[in-house]
Amino acid sequence: MKNTNHTSPPTWPLRFFRWFCHPAFVEDIEGDLHERFALLVEEMGLRKARFRFVIEVLLLFRPGLIKSLSIFPELIHPGMLKHNLLITYRGFLKHKMTFFINLVGLSTGLAGVLLIYLWVHDERSVDRFHEKDSQLYQVMINHEDERGIQTWDSSPLPLTKALIEEFPEVESGTFINNSFLPEGKITQGENAIEASRIFANEQFFDVFSYDLIQGDKDQVLAGKDNMVISEELALKLFDSTHDIIGKTIEWSHPYYEKFNGEFQVSGVFETPPANATEQFDAVVHYGLMVENDPPSTRWTSTPVKNYLVLQEGTNIERFNDKFADFLSAKHEAWETSTQFVQQYSKRYLYGTYENGVQAGGRIEYVKLFSIIALFILLIACINFMNLSTAQASRKMKEIGVKKTMGATKSALVLQFLSESMLMVTLSFIVAASLISLILPQFNLITDKELKWGLALSPFLAIAGILLLTGLVAGSYPAFYLSRFKPVAVLKGERSISSGEYWVRRGLVVFQFAISVVFIVGMLVLDQQMQYTQTKNMGYNRDNVISFQRPRHNDDLEVFLSELRNLPGVTNASNMEGNILSGWSDDNGFYLKGQESDNKWGFMSPQIGYDMIETLGMQIMEGRSFSRTHKDDRSKIIISRSAQKMMQLADPIGQVITNGLTDYEIIGVVEDFHYGSLHKEKKPLFFRFHIWSLNTMVKIAPGVEQATIAKVEELYKEFHPETAFTFTFLDEDNQRLYEAESRVATLSKYFGSLAIIISCLGLFGLVAFTAERRSKEIGIRKILGSSVWGVIKLLSTDFTRMVILAILLALPISYLITKRWLDNFAYKIELEWWLFGSAALVTLLIAWSVVGLQTLKTARLNPVECLRDE
Amino acid sequence: MSKHRLGELEEIVLLTVAILHGEAYGIAIVNEMEERLSRRISIGALQIVLRRLEKKGYLISEFGEATKVRGGKRKRYFTVTNFGKQTLKDTKDQRLSLWNAIPNISFGN
Repeated sequence: MKNTNHTSPPTWPLRFFRWFCHPAFVEDIEGDLHERFALLVEEMGLRKARFRFVIEVLLLFRPGLIKSLSIFPELIHPGMLKHNLLITYRGFLKHKMTFFINLVGLSTGLAGVLLIYLWVHDERSVDRFHEKDSQLYQVMINHEDERGIQTWDSSPLPLTKALIEEFPEVESGTFINNSFLPEGKITQGENAIEASRIFANEQFFDVFSYDLIQGDKDQVLAGKDNMVISEELALKLFDSTHDIIGKTIEWSHPYYEKFNGEFQVSGVFETPPANATEQFDAVVHYGLMVENDPPSTRWTSTPVKNYLVLQEGTNIERFNDKFADFLSAKHEAWETSTQFVQQYSKRYLYGTYENGVQAGGRIEYVKLFSIIALFILLIACINFMNLSTAQASRKMKEIGVKKTMGATKSALVLQFLSESMLMVTLSFIVAASLISLILPQFNLITDKELKWGLALSPFLAIAGILLLTGLVAGSYPAFYLSRFKPVAVLKGERSISSGEYWVRRGLVVFQFAISVVFIVGMLVLDQQMQYTQTKNMGYNRDNVISFQRPRHNDDLEVFLSELRNLPGVTNASNMEGNILSGWSDDNGFYLKGQESDNKWGFMSPQIGYDMIETLGMQIMEGRSFSRTHKDDRSKIIISRSAQKMMQLADPIGQVITNGLTDYEIIGVVEDFHYGSLHKEKKPLFFRFHIWSLNTMVKIAPGVEQATIAKVEELYKEFHPETAFTFTFLDEDNQRLYEAESRVATLSKYFGSLAIIISCLGLFGLVAFTAERRSKEIGIRKILGSSVWGVIKLLSTDFTRMVILAILLALPISYLITKRWLDNFAYKIELEWWLFGSAALVTLLIAWSVVGLQTLKTARLNPVECLRDE
Repeated sequence: MSKHRLGELEEIVLLTVAILHGEAYGIAIVNEMEERLSRRISIGALQIVLRRLEKKGYLISEFGEATKVRGGKRKRYFTVTNFGKQTLKDTKDQRLSLWNAIPNISFGN
């Protein structure tokens, strides 16, 4: 025989063979298989031989050659399974209450967990659909100045090209415009549609996986008059995505005339999915942007976000080290900056930077809710375990008889596990219908488009969760119950071991401790949310509407005075940006003539006349900007903390400067919160800027609707081409805390869920204990115990457990809520009553649950429970 | 006569083992059968017959040497037992007696 050992047979069929074959036959048959394979290879070539080999192995799978089934003989017996099902079913019928508690507890728990899972899964999928996801990075810049390090996601336009040339690791790259562009109107024949668009370079569709339905990805962005449109837009404009290449569409916006013009459709891309951060209807070559804004190509400006495709296996740390000083080599303006890259798909969840260091972001909420989900599931499982072990006594006889008849331990384990699996499956069905009821509401709260679809990965995960729940919930009773000694059980000798007693109590304590943590969390979140809405910000935001004027012609003063003259309008003014955004700042100031190294930085909102009055701020010294004084940009009004920082006893008339411009202080205003409560109140001065577009109108209370209608009318007179959209300042204020208020709402739901499930469990346990001790209670009553005495007897134990849970939970919840509150510069105090009321609420709920059940038992006629023996 | 009956495949396998005389292991038997009878059977089919024959006592087996081509696995050599030989002979006798009993006329010449 020829030596052909270089071609060995495929391993996995061999492994399969070794697994199923009877151990006594394995060796020689495997040898035969090897020999046969070698022969087959010579005869028919490797490929066919491999195929034949698989068939040979499969043909060996015969009853005479495979292992005996002695390992699980009784488990796969269909009769046994049927028997288990029947017993389970009868058990459900007999103990309806326990069944009901289990079903409600498990199904609501599962529903909560699955909802959170859907949400987490969706959060984690954001921006991950790009084919080059693992290689796709965004350029970030850490810029350092007097205020500390700020992290920007925008960078110079020539960067991508330079990087591709100078770094071998950079395969390709693209960029899109960073600044906000308003929606424009796209016209095609009779159709006109509002659409958003972005500017990008030629490689855009190569780097990102917005797949092209029409057009070639290297060609679609070839010229400045090309426009690639989304499938959705194409359908709206043309009713089709076919044969539209080369057709002309018109882009127009009333105030961005320089970007208006005609474009040729050069391609159609699939509409960005909901889990993409960038949402746009059309893509245009960046040349158009450069043409209208030539400075954007300079190394010093940052008009774009740059995205790089790095070679597979690039060491990011090493790359960042090399890359860090790239920009400072290009231009001295970047001397105090370093650059780095962050994976594009991580930007969404890990988007927050503090002092140049990654500091979480949305991921924290993802983690928080994952933990909540886990705990809810755990609480539900504990219920199930507790009730099942408690019911052990009801099942003891059954187990005893079965064991005497020769049932093995494994058979009993299987019986209980299949019982819990069945329970979980039933609960899952209930949970699924619950979810389809709740999902629309849940989507509303979370601002998502979650679907109860059967995408593969969630489906697998759900199956996993189910299996896990079944195993966790069923394992303890299964292994515990199957351990009983039949003789002891049948003699009725088995008493509750102290171990079991402690385990059950421990589980209840654990359950309630989690519930208390949830309740404290709920209360604190709620209080803080109320605080953000009611805290005195130093100005009055009630009844103030704000809207953006598209532009001022020379009519600003006319517009404002006509606004003020409208009946119902108390005052009107304009400012740059928004009082709530709190971004503007300025640095490098010193008192004129006293330059020193220690320079001051201020927040510096820019306002027009009357803004201080419109917002009801308090002038402490000096005066506000006024028309009679003909104030201009050289005047500022400082805040009280700014005065304190500069240590000016008599600030009015003093001049501060940054070396370029001098500012004269004309007034001092009481401190107020510029921006959200997340930020510290900082020293501030108001600069004067008359041409701001953001207009604020204070309306007299009671006549809001009529007045707003009048404001709109006036607006239409001045700007017939654009729609009037306004917001209430107090609603804008609410929006600042959207993420937190979402968490607050959700935590209310999930917190209530946790406490409900815990109480269900407690209820079941109390009911069970009462039933077990009914004879004792009967005798006690006959001997003269009062109803109250019985209630005390039954509830003392549970009260102790709940109190222990509260004692354990309070410090933990203190730590957790304190950490959350640290996100806010201004926050509520964690006062004792928050924890006290959480404890009291828990105790009261637990008592009412226990009391109800014990009262029922205590009032029983002793004859009822003592009659049968 | 004998209550032991051999199936068709069993008989052929048993005969082949006898032909190979001390050299009969799995693949050798398959190859021998293929050469002589142009009949290819799978290892599975053969092994099941071999085990059955061994269980009934027609064959005994022992491990032999390992070779490289067999992935270092030993061969299991089968030999026909006396009882097997006896059964083969009985089967042959039965057949012959049947053959002999056929009247000439049946085959037409």
